[in-house]
Amino acid sequence: MKALRRLLVRFEFENGFRIIVTPAQAGVHLMDSRFRGNDGGGRAGRIPIRSTTLRRLALAILTAALLVPLQRAMAQEKVPPLPKELPPYGPLVPFATPNVTVTKLPNGLTVWRVPRPGFPKVALTLAVRGGRAYDPKDQPGVSDLLMAVMDQGTKTRSARQIAEAFAAAGGDLSGDLRPDALLSSVQVLGDKVDGALEVLADIAENATFPDDEVALAKTDALQNLEAQEAEPTFLAQRALAKALYGDHGYAVISATADAINKTTAGDLRAAYRQRFRPDQSLLVAVGDFDPNALEAAIEKDFGGWTAPSDAPLPEPPRPAGNNPHAIFLVPRAGSVQTSLWLGAFGPRRGDPDYAAAQVANAIYAGMFGSRLIRNIREDKGYTYSPGGSIQLRAQAGALLTRADVRNAVTGPSLNEIFYELNRMATTDPSAGEVTRAQRYLVGTNAIFLQIQSAVGSELGWLWVYGLPPGALGQESANIQKVTAEDVAAAGRKYFAAARQTVVAVGEDSVVRGQLGVFGLPIEAAAK
Amino acid sequence: MRRFLIALLLSSALGAAPLQADWKVPIVSRKLSNGLVVVVSEDHSAPTFGLCISYGIGFRLEPEGRTGFAHLFEHMMFEGTPDAPKGVFDQVIEGGGGFNNGDTRYDFTEYIESAPISALDPVLWLEADRLKTLDFSVANLDNQRKVVEEEVRVNVLNQPYGSFYWLDLPQKAFNTYPNAHNFYGDFKDLDAATIQDVQTFYEHYYAPNNAVLTIAGDVKPDEVFAAVEKYFGALPRRDVPPRPNVSEQPQTAERRFTQSDKLAHVPALAVGYRMPPRTSHDAVAGALVGELLHNGEASLLFQALVKDKKVALSVNGGVNWPLGNPFEYNGPTLMSSFIVYPSNVTENQLLDDYDSVIARLKAEGPTAGEMERIKTKMKSDWYGQLEIPISRASALSHAALFDGTADAINRIPADIDAVTPDEVKAFAAQYLVPANRTIINRVPETKADKGGQQ
Repeated sequence: MKALRRLLVRFEFENGFRIIVTPAQAGVHLMDSRFRGNDGGGRAGRIPIRSTTLRRLALAILTAALLVPLQRAMAQEKVPPLPKELPPYGPLVPFATPNVTVTKLPNGLTVWRVPRPGFPKVALTLAVRGGRAYDPKDQPGVSDLLMAVMDQGTKTRSARQIAEAFAAAGGDLSGDLRPDALLSSVQVLGDKVDGALEVLADIAENATFPDDEVALAKTDALQNLEAQEAEPTFLAQRALAKALYGDHGYAVISATADAINKTTAGDLRAAYRQRFRPDQSLLVAVGDFDPNALEAAIEKDFGGWTAPSDAPLPEPPRPAGNNPHAIFLVPRAGSVQTSLWLGAFGPRRGDPDYAAAQVANAIYAGMFGSRLIRNIREDKGYTYSPGGSIQLRAQAGALLTRADVRNAVTGPSLNEIFYELNRMATTDPSAGEVTRAQRYLVGTNAIFLQIQSAVGSELGWLWVYGLPPGALGQESANIQKVTAEDVAAAGRKYFAAARQTVVAVGEDSVVRGQLGVFGLPIEAAAK
Repeated sequence: MRRFLIALLLSSALGAAPLQADWKVPIVSRKLSNGLVVVVSEDHSAPTFGLCISYGIGFRLEPEGRTGFAHLFEHMMFEGTPDAPKGVFDQVIEGGGGFNNGDTRYDFTEYIESAPISALDPVLWLEADRLKTLDFSVANLDNQRKVVEEEVRVNVLNQPYGSFYWLDLPQKAFNTYPNAHNFYGDFKDLDAATIQDVQTFYEHYYAPNNAVLTIAGDVKPDEVFAAVEKYFGALPRRDVPPRPNVSEQPQTAERRFTQSDKLAHVPALAVGYRMPPRTSHDAVAGALVGELLHNGEASLLFQALVKDKKVALSVNGGVNWPLGNPFEYNGPTLMSSFIVYPSNVTENQLLDDYDSVIARLKAEGPTAGEMERIKTKMKSDWYGQLEIPISRASALSHAALFDGTADAINRIPADIDAVTPDEVKAFAAQYLVPANRTIINRVPETKADKGGQQ
């Protein structure tokens, strides 16, 4: 099964950066002028909407803000006045939260169903607890091979028959592997969902990991790793995870060549038996289906799946301590840009200040009109692709910043990033910024959740993180309640430049020459 | 397009199985007196809308000496107007709960927004405002020139393979400037662009009579038409330069090239076959062949090259890939394959196995199972493009731009169904021949020079 990451998906990347692409962009994301709107964590749902225009609302908040004595300086936000002729926003209409029916089969499989008549497709997602953080310490990357081969043969189907069965239903199975879990998803025509469900269950229960398929997957994985070693984004993400998480399982974002070489078909079968068990899995179905027929089909296909008697693998612990404040250099000869990635521990999804951190991130670098993008792209032209996001793990959260900048402005770019981070940490946001960020997060999430496969994926990750389906709506309600003070508090707690781990992928001499002045240790990044 | 209709009648006369092609999207269109085509597709499943305004100008028609200009210009459309200075656009759309973007392609440039329905009026106002005039600012041009150059660096110059399968392949496969130049732009051309160029390009191509505005989502067509009339109705029609002839002389011999890659560690091959015009009868068979060869793990090339022969690591491609779907081009276009292959496999080994797949298609045609699966997959993918308002608006806009009507959107599933195995066989025999293709082999510069990454 192909990793979602390499398919350049239509919604959320593993690192939390989010894009919604148009048909013209499907397949490859290129030549769009604005790059990406992202927030890396906002979720939509039913929200208390005030029936007023934003302009009136903003004015009211602005007036109120003037009356409140501020403890800190308010950030000087240069926003042009709105045109006189611009019509106001219309009355706001509340968004409906996806209506999730929760059931559990006797074997412990949790099933979340979201019937949505109309659009004639169904998205199926199977979430199985246990990802890269569950791999043996000396075999980082068992999960990657597990994902690659799990759909390459069952007791009754060959790899080709599996691929053709999904195609015959109108879909392609894709995998989203992260440290905590593996999500397998397929979107098919509604009248062919039975066929897809049957094959998905077969993979969950009867994968055989044939020796020849494992051998091919290992050869391909080694070559793919070799190919990825040329990509700045891969190098940066791998180095950042290592720098942030050290010895913790969350430090692994890909297999190592050593682990690929020594992993056997037997290892994969053992890992599959440990992880693929109904009591550690969730099945999500979203779309145009007959609820009763689907329920019966799920019972027929998944009812015979049994969990082993031994206890499931333990969850990884919370990462301890702080992330290092240093620059980790990945030398890459021939680079014409420096890829800057910054990370700092932040809230977990479900933590009380998660919503405030989401709003803060949107103001900082999550929206197109955010401070960092206005600064280093729209004012200075240092980069095409700056952005900020919150990367989520079951036991951790990390605030991420990225920007690929031309070599000559490597130092100036990090200076501006530090400046904007420190501005978040030391000054209060304006009321207008907070309102815009709230509206942006809630609105774009509602749009995002119109994609049925996005609902499947979102629900899958909620479950992995131990949250109920109602969290989809609750998170938007939480965003609506965030105040400027909450945002300022999140800024103080998470955003200071002194909290950041920095990764720079680029020409050795460029990075050392321009980043030395920051006085941070420059260390060789681990692989 | 009439031939498709005949083919469809024929297949139903032969008693073809009931089709899954009965799901359609509502389409209502109107043309304003200034020539602006307005398309509306109602969908009340959520209180949001998607908007796409497509202009009939893409990088094919950008001026000589100004490669990359259509795309650079697209960036300038976000840089403000006299009434709504730089920054207002994002402030209003994001503050209204939405997002926006733009894309430049061969034959259109599109601007897209999606937001809660409460933001529709201000978004329409903003789109009309930037069709009235722009803030032709030298400072903003200098800024976006830098941003675009960083875009080229991040997507091309700093990446292994440098997008050669869509940037270099057409330049080798075609002969004339419109089809065979650097669409992202040579830096010398980007650097040479002036604010006068921006103004002239805008005046030539950004006219209501050269645009299609589509709104999909929680709207009523009459209300949309009234609102569009209110905001766009007074914009004057303009003289748009007549479309030049962009056709190519037929290719007569295979073209093969080798490029070295400073950054890649593993070799890759790109193959491009010239395709028939989109409106020809053969085009649908071509689209199907492109998908049969490239779409997913069940595809013929994936199964043969990655699984059976083990001579490739990944296979991607199709007609008009990766710049759009096989139904939205309007000039010389390729079916492209992009194949990454292991270092211990030679180009000729790979190509021999590639050619075996093509040869089987020519000799035997597809099996009944292959035909049924690929038709199902294509229809499923096609519906996927119409799922949410913003992508539906985009697809409808492109169709209406090329054909004057978006009705083709609802015909495409039936067109796909009507393709016969014999047509696939005939298509492969006519078009998938060496004399009609261009091949670029992209190899790592030297095995020893891998930038210390090993």
